[in-house]
Amino acid sequence: MELFFQQLVNGTSLGALYALIAVGYTVVYGIVQLINFAHGEIFMVGAFGAFATWMVLGQPTNWGPAASLMILLPLMLLGGIAVSVTVALLTERFAYRPLRNAPRLAPLITAIGVSVFLQEFVRLFYGRIPGFPDAKSAVPFPSIAGISGEIIQIGGVTIQMPAVFTIGALAISTVFLWFFVNRSKTGRAMVATSQDPDTARLMGIDVDKVIVAAFAVGAGLAALAGVAHGLSYGNIDFRMGFLAGLKAFTAAVLGGIGNINGAVVGGLVLGIVEAMATTFIPGQFGSSAWKDVWAFALLILVLVFRPQGLLGAKVVDRA
Amino acid sequence: MKALISDETKVRFRLPARVVSVVGALAVIASVFLPWAYGHEALDDVTFTGAPSPLQSFFLLLPGLVLLLLVVPFLGKQRLGRFAKAIAWNTSARTGSLATLATVVIALAAIAIELKGLINIEIGGWVAFGGALLAAVGTPLLPDSPEPTLDRVKTPKWAQIVGIVAMMAAVLFLASFALNQTDAGSFLTFGALLVGVVLVLRQLGVLGWLSIAAANNNRVLVLSAFVVAYAFPFTQNGSDANMSIASQVLIFAAAALGLNIVVGLVGLLDLGYIAFLGAGAFTAAILSESAFSTVDFHPPFLVTVLISGVVASLLGLLIGAPTLRVSGDYLAIVTLAFGEIFRITMNNLDGNDGPNLTNGSNGISGIPDLNFLGFDFGQAHTIFGVEIGRFANYYWLMLMVIALIIVVFMNLNYSRIGRGWVAIREDELAAEAMGVNTFALKLLAFAGGAFLAGVAGAVKAHHDVSVTPDQYVFLESAFLLAAVVLGGMGTVMGVLIGATILKLLPEKLRFFSEYRLLLFGLLMIVMMQFRPEGIIADERRQLEFHGEDEQLAEEIEEELITHHTHLFPERKGFVL
Repeated sequence: MELFFQQLVNGTSLGALYALIAVGYTVVYGIVQLINFAHGEIFMVGAFGAFATWMVLGQPTNWGPAASLMILLPLMLLGGIAVSVTVALLTERFAYRPLRNAPRLAPLITAIGVSVFLQEFVRLFYGRIPGFPDAKSAVPFPSIAGISGEIIQIGGVTIQMPAVFTIGALAISTVFLWFFVNRSKTGRAMVATSQDPDTARLMGIDVDKVIVAAFAVGAGLAALAGVAHGLSYGNIDFRMGFLAGLKAFTAAVLGGIGNINGAVVGGLVLGIVEAMATTFIPGQFGSSAWKDVWAFALLILVLVFRPQGLLGAKVVDRA
Repeated sequence: MKALISDETKVRFRLPARVVSVVGALAVIASVFLPWAYGHEALDDVTFTGAPSPLQSFFLLLPGLVLLLLVVPFLGKQRLGRFAKAIAWNTSARTGSLATLATVVIALAAIAIELKGLINIEIGGWVAFGGALLAAVGTPLLPDSPEPTLDRVKTPKWAQIVGIVAMMAAVLFLASFALNQTDAGSFLTFGALLVGVVLVLRQLGVLGWLSIAAANNNRVLVLSAFVVAYAFPFTQNGSDANMSIASQVLIFAAAALGLNIVVGLVGLLDLGYIAFLGAGAFTAAILSESAFSTVDFHPPFLVTVLISGVVASLLGLLIGAPTLRVSGDYLAIVTLAFGEIFRITMNNLDGNDGPNLTNGSNGISGIPDLNFLGFDFGQAHTIFGVEIGRFANYYWLMLMVIALIIVVFMNLNYSRIGRGWVAIREDELAAEAMGVNTFALKLLAFAGGAFLAGVAGAVKAHHDVSVTPDQYVFLESAFLLAAVVLGGMGTVMGVLIGATILKLLPEKLRFFSEYRLLLFGLLMIVMMQFRPEGIIADERRQLEFHGEDEQLAEEIEEELITHHTHLFPERKGFVL
């Protein structure tokens, strides 16, 4: 039973990471019906942005827990968010917007191009910035006093502090998102646009602005996830966006694509399923080498039996 | 250009402009007989006076064409007769001289880079540059010519056949010459020259004429294309390096053609296609007589190929059946996820994390060469005094596979199934309403494409000698997709060209291998913005991507009516 709770905690923290990224997929898909394939790369760029902020601050390593938590971490988060949002808006403006009325294959292929381009751009040019480490292999992420390496022990269950950070970030983001979507003018415009873009435009909503807002919100959360990833695993890598993006998309589909709550639920479910699969599937197939296979198998199963996702109400029939 | 220089100015200054351009073209021609560089290392040694190097003598081609186009009009409209209007004299000369300038600049840049410094360019290089510059300045001042009508000129059948055969012979000769350029500078220079010549020919209407000739003599075209392709190994003098590239290109092209059915004809975006290739390769490897094979069943290759294809298409059915119902974007991600599942599974079936089938990340190596009815593919043969190596054998085998794929593709394209596929691609709901069984047809395309990939993979396993999971990663799927997109979705010729470009350029231009993927990503983005239909456009596709362009619609309609009447003998035309 202890093992079960331990894996539940591990799975929740992994799932929170997926959920943070999945929101970006689902928000953008809900409005423009585009699978923003490059969203995983936005997550990666966010992590590198936070790392760059740390470098600019003079690589502080000896700050105490209070200063680290109150000043260093928020600054790094802001830096990561700034970089992610900038990159996301640039791709939206120059890669996706001109193709808004093109056949659906065109933006999808563009998204693959953007994804490869961003990965290679970071790999080739990150190390060219004076004083920055080469990004061709994994870069060690700075440790934040008060989070990195700290644990909380509850009974026999060990909770890593980075996991607490990830879950906390998801919780705060969810609350923020709820207020943003339901209370703010832009958020309501987003809902209106996702329900019926043409009518929304007739009602005086600037659809371009709404799309920009969707990309920005998704990118901001992806940057949070990037920092959480760096803190949890201790290093960041230009390739990390690919698998994380794929998993997050799975989570978005699992919850019902286009549904923000669904993305959060889907992410958590996916993370927990992955963690449980590595523990409770007996024999060789339970080894951690198979966990990605189980995650994707879950995606295919969902598509067979409940294509609208766990929380999605509408049947997806858009080509 | 039109906005820059008014038509009156052009008419007034047409004589001096023509003279200046002629002088320029003559200067470039003269420069070929002068040394271009001080060092022997640059290009293929362009240091001799009066004896141009092979590459250098190709520089006669473009300015020669330009000169011809500039001088012949001096005869006057009357003497030229109907050719006065059939050929776009001035516009073609303009294209030609601009292309000359571009190639000269590339050649000089190659010299400067290889010998470190512009100082190493000798007099000939500067003469070529000056001449090309003169021509490039002079020709834009000439009045615009009307659209060429060369492609409308009625020509006898024998002339068309001669044209096709000549084109094929030129392709064979130029391709082997290009492949024998070992250093990047020469290869780029030669490639730029070829692109320039093709652009001029297109402007002249020669390409249009050829395409009509080809459409009218389809059998001759296909036959001569395959004769040329089969003859290619004989031009290589037993060089294995080039044949290895060529056979890799063909394997890649075969897989791309399979993907083309799925993406180009039906419009299903498959991002895990490489997994089907991998499934075929692993099946063939496991069934081969390799020492690392884990199964004690080694059928002859003909059986293995079929099993590989069937295994791949079964996987296609497995993935397609659930996802093709929900349709659309999901397929892209599910196939992507499937590609990952495949790679991870092949990695894990190592006896440690699962039953031992593939030896995990080590893969299966030491796969013996094919032995086909007593013909050993690993053995070199001497035919007509030319040594034909191992890779040439695989090249010929893949050529047969590709021929088969093309025959299937062409027949499907004009069959009930093919029309159903295109209908699905253009509007699935409408197709379904018209009685097309969309699910069955999509599944057929998916499984069929997977089968072709499986067959290609089976040959690839023997060609590569070893099969490992990391040969079948997502990036390879993306490359296959890029070949289809770059060349032109839905066309055979385009995909062959796309596959050749994507496989050949990285082999020949090693210096940019570091930036290969970056450029590749950029290329995908830029292609989608500016030419989503690819290098060679499928007419229906082109309309799809430029829906609001009325002029293009009319052009394509007219072209279909005038050029493709042979496809619709029952009617005297074709109504869009």
